[in-house]
Amino acid sequence: MIKDITLGQYFPGNSAIHRLDPRTKLLGMIAYIVIVFLVTKTPVFIIPALFAAICIYLARVPFGYVIRSLKPIRFLLVFMFIVNLFMVRTGKTVIAFWIISITDEAIKQSVYITLRLVLLLVGTSLMTLTTTPIALTDGLERLLMPLSKIHFPAHELAMMMTIALRFIPTLIEEADKIMKAQMARGADFESGNLIKRAKNMIPILVPLFVSAFRRADELAMAMESRCYHGGEGRTRMNVLKFGCGDGVAAAAFAVLTALTIAAQKLIP
Amino acid sequence: MCVIRTGKEGETGLIEIQNVSYAYEDAAAKALNNVSLTINDGEFVAVVGHNGSGKSTLAKHLNALLLPTEGKVLVDGMDTADETDTLSIRQRVGMVFQNPDNQLVTTIVEEDVAFGPENIGVPGNEIRTRVDRALAAVGMEKYAHSAPNMLSGGQKQRIAIAGMLAMQPKVLVLDEATAMLDPKGRRDIIDLVTKLHKENGITVVMITQYMEEAIGADRVAVMSGGELILEGTPKEVFSQDELLHKHRLDVPVMQQLANRLNARGANLPKCILSVEEMAQAICLSLSKN
Amino acid sequence: MPIVVEKLNYAYMQGSAITKAALTDISLRIEDGEFLGLIGHTGSGKSTFVQQLNGLLQPNSGTVHVDEFDMADKKQRMEGRKLVGMVFQYPEYQLFEESVEKDVAFGVKNMGIGEEEALERAHEAMALVGLAPEKFAAKSPFELSGGEKRRAALAGIIAMKPKYLVLDEPMAGLDPLGRKAILDTIDNLRASLGCAVLMVSHSMDDMADRAERIAVMNGGRLVMEGKTRDVFAQSELLTSIGLDVPQASRLGMELRKRGIDIPENIYEIEEMELALLKLLSKGGRA
Repeated sequence: MIKDITLGQYFPGNSAIHRLDPRTKLLGMIAYIVIVFLVTKTPVFIIPALFAAICIYLARVPFGYVIRSLKPIRFLLVFMFIVNLFMVRTGKTVIAFWIISITDEAIKQSVYITLRLVLLLVGTSLMTLTTTPIALTDGLERLLMPLSKIHFPAHELAMMMTIALRFIPTLIEEADKIMKAQMARGADFESGNLIKRAKNMIPILVPLFVSAFRRADELAMAMESRCYHGGEGRTRMNVLKFGCGDGVAAAAFAVLTALTIAAQKLIP
Repeated sequence: MCVIRTGKEGETGLIEIQNVSYAYEDAAAKALNNVSLTINDGEFVAVVGHNGSGKSTLAKHLNALLLPTEGKVLVDGMDTADETDTLSIRQRVGMVFQNPDNQLVTTIVEEDVAFGPENIGVPGNEIRTRVDRALAAVGMEKYAHSAPNMLSGGQKQRIAIAGMLAMQPKVLVLDEATAMLDPKGRRDIIDLVTKLHKENGITVVMITQYMEEAIGADRVAVMSGGELILEGTPKEVFSQDELLHKHRLDVPVMQQLANRLNARGANLPKCILSVEEMAQAICLSLSKN
Repeated sequence: MPIVVEKLNYAYMQGSAITKAALTDISLRIEDGEFLGLIGHTGSGKSTFVQQLNGLLQPNSGTVHVDEFDMADKKQRMEGRKLVGMVFQYPEYQLFEESVEKDVAFGVKNMGIGEEEALERAHEAMALVGLAPEKFAAKSPFELSGGEKRRAALAGIIAMKPKYLVLDEPMAGLDPLGRKAILDTIDNLRASLGCAVLMVSHSMDDMADRAERIAVMNGGRLVMEGKTRDVFAQSELLTSIGLDVPQASRLGMELRKRGIDIPENIYEIEEMELALLKLLSKGGRA
């Protein structure tokens, strides 16, 4: 169940996209989101969609793998589609039976919203699929570094993210163990109404929290033992450097932006 | 900026624990009571005792994680109570803890090994060489790019040791680092530490509840009820079986067997710790007759 | 009636690309009242196997019967599960209630037994594991020492009065005193409740000391099964698959290597002592 989620999971590889500086990919992702939001006409989506397809091809990530990242939000997608389909009342009625009527505007709107969501998700998961979480936090830390002048805790934030990433699998495993142990004591997590089910989670949540605190305590001690004293005076083994690939990427995004804006203007 | 001091080396030991007492906040009894112990450069010292004997509390005094309520601890001549020296002390005294899951910080093995050197401001390219060397020393170079949660307990502990080695410490303290491992993992760690001690000359302080693990040490210190009750070579310590029994501590099984055989008329050496030693002693005794 | 496992096969992630056989063709009986030891190194499938016994995992093929209950059937599984008490590794991490007695009573209440009787049974179980109810009942489980927590968790299973007690490395991480306390508690339980015990452990000396029968797993298969003496008589084979053997067996192996005649089936230190005495005095007379 939890293991099925590909969103935010790294797909190992050594493609041109994998080798890009994480800062480039982070900024690229933001640019991509902005571009997708710029699009107001459904046909224009073909441009960012094509761009994403090229990136997926260059990254050598199986297409199905990217699509799977949509799985956790498939219900949201369907829900959004249906809500728009029935709620939008403007335009000509195309289908009408019983109390349901669907207009052409509604179909357009539903397709538009769904496409936008899909592209946003593909764009972001493409970045997480091709960037190790550690490179990502590293990139984020570097990008936010200028803000530390105004006391923004860039290093602390990155450290927190690193530790969270490190401990998520450990805690999932632990939750699974505790759940089994309580099931062996006859605990039931599957029946009853919502409130009862929530209450039944207590035997899992309390031990999980206790254990998380214990882990935090021990980790803090281990970090102190390894001379951790915040970001001050810290060096890094791997220093981020922009390469020529990053220049190409920047150019590609410039082209993408130009194309999208042009298409917006040209298509009626 | 952190400056790593070169210590004032004199005739004293690398670590001097001088009349140290320690009481945890709102605890009635002292966790440590007037403990004195010297760890010399290049030694392999095992500290044994039960849960609650104070052995882990003592370990945490060695790198200033805890500060004595009374008495003092000197590392390379530096007082652990002096905050300006804390980083220098921690760089010298590498500490490996019990739970393999709770001491690795990052999601990639080599990044984790680099964590310590990064904290003390070692230049990037030097960290690279140190990390590679440390991973080779613990035999984990193959796993440099793995995620820690894909490794076994014993492998995680080896990474934790590599993380310490990369800081180039003088002393390696293992605070019950084998307690949560299976027999193979435990053997791997003991073998690795013994190798590091012999080949690289690193000083080792091993805190353990297993008497068998103390057999290979140069010196054994026995803790009970917050006090140091016995100290000496393994042979000296384990021949004191009455005193150990009084403190409800075990003597290695082979020593027990030797004692019982000798009590019933056999003529074996007074001190036999390992199975191999016992087999040899029996062979010798048989051939003499 | 015993627990009967027949031709059990199990793979993680059945049907996906990364199917990995975890258990292959295992048949094993756990008889009423016996003490069966299960050994094997990490990753040999012990923990996976043990979870099949109370239906937390279900076989892909083959059957598990707990008494008359077929654990493949959802309804019968619930009944069978009540008979099999399961103590996981580091069970102290499952404690969650505000008091020890409440935590111990949790499983009993889940069986549909009323508050009052549940507490009564909790107190009984606490006494059995050596946590005097007068002293510990109202304490928070989080205030206990490591060994006490472990025993409190054990009491939580015992209070459910299982017919079979399955323990996955119940002594892991404890010091020698704590280990002995747990082992004595288990003996005590068998004597007073008559339950069968299946214990997974890496400690061969403890196994030699307590188990009547031993099953050995390697690579997801059951490779050896028999009386403790017969299993440890094959110490060379056990060592060859990377397992430890009791120290007495190890000494026997070392002595045989040096040409001294020591029977292969000696695995207890007391027995070894007698054999050596005989040997040494014989040598003395000659």
